[in-house]
Amino acid sequence: MRYAVRALSWATKIIWIFIVLFSATAVYSAMNVRIGFGQPQAYLSSGFVVLSIPLFVNNYGLYDLSELNMTVDVMDSNGSLLSESSTLVALIPKNSSIETTHNVSINIDGATSQVQIYLFNDAVFNLDMSLKVKFAHAVPLQASMNTTIPWGAPLYNFSIGQISYNYVDLTHQEAIIPISFDNHSPHFGVDGFMRVEIYNDNDELLGFSVSDLNVPSHSSYDSQVGMVVDDSKITGSGEVHFYFETSAFSISPVVMPYG
Amino acid sequence: MVEKGHSKTFVRKFVPRIIKAALLVVITYLPLYFLSAFVEPFQSFFPWYEPLTNIFAAVFIIFLVVGVFTSGTVYQYVFGVARTLVVMIFFIYALNGGIVTLAVPNEGASVNIMVDLRVILAMLVLVCLLGIGKNVVQAIDFVSAKVETKEI
Repeated sequence: MRYAVRALSWATKIIWIFIVLFSATAVYSAMNVRIGFGQPQAYLSSGFVVLSIPLFVNNYGLYDLSELNMTVDVMDSNGSLLSESSTLVALIPKNSSIETTHNVSINIDGATSQVQIYLFNDAVFNLDMSLKVKFAHAVPLQASMNTTIPWGAPLYNFSIGQISYNYVDLTHQEAIIPISFDNHSPHFGVDGFMRVEIYNDNDELLGFSVSDLNVPSHSSYDSQVGMVVDDSKITGSGEVHFYFETSAFSISPVVMPYG
Repeated sequence: MVEKGHSKTFVRKFVPRIIKAALLVVITYLPLYFLSAFVEPFQSFFPWYEPLTNIFAAVFIIFLVVGVFTSGTVYQYVFGVARTLVVMIFFIYALNGGIVTLAVPNEGASVNIMVDLRVILAMLVLVCLLGIGKNVVQAIDFVSAKVETKEI
């Protein structure tokens, strides 16, 4: 019996010493770990707005950090998922530091996604961010936060004015369409081409025109597009179709009635 | 004469126990005091910590004192088991079953931090179970030794 009691006493003491030592060194190590984010950068890449967030981890503690996983989910105000991204760092050994970049990509290419609405309307996106890391290969730690980011529409308040006609000759007229919009995007300008097609009530193409666009961030576009149309086909009302081909996005067609 | 002898026995028997109990109380309370001082800056994140620790400390000290006063009887082991159980329950409760969560306000937003301390809690529970086991074995040893003494 005494040997059993002695063995239990020793086992208890050894485990207690281990727990105390591990707890003390873990607290010390945790105080010597720095995790931070740099200044986010936004840029455009083939139909995607890419938000690039620099992430750095300085591990000057006594234990390794492993399985660092950063995830960012971007959702619209209805809770629909727009983007899901994650960055994984398998191991950050003790007395080392790493620098990596977490990229959040939001598809704004109108031809391939349902987010065309965000080209014309400002919005507020919800960001669910989470950072998971395993401390000393034994203690998982997770930090998460919800935040919002404002979204400025590059074609905000896109509208056409009253179409006017000027006679070119006896059978043709020049249709002049006033077009205006505001580029609310803080990240990119609207640079590229805009093709405008005008249709009559019978869905017959009256004419088209291609214009250059160069609208920097936080500026307005207010211009007129002219095109020669067949006089006999003019019905006074119909539709105008817009096709955009810019460095940031391409969408087709945006249909607006007139008349 | 008999009364004097009784009081002498009482003094001889209980004064050392009182001193031992007082010493043990001080030794037990010191780490708790330092832990409280260490946790104080983070008090706003763990508002439940201080009252919980005070209750735990009070119960633990009661069992400790009773255990010292009942030493030499089988009850010291019973109170030893009770004390270890209190410690185990405290750890499970204080560490929220191993998953500790707290919300830290940060520039208008709130950062939720979750730490999974189940490995540490498992070790703490193991230590407590070993402590209980030790007390039970000691109690069996004590009772069997008493029976053997009676038989002889």
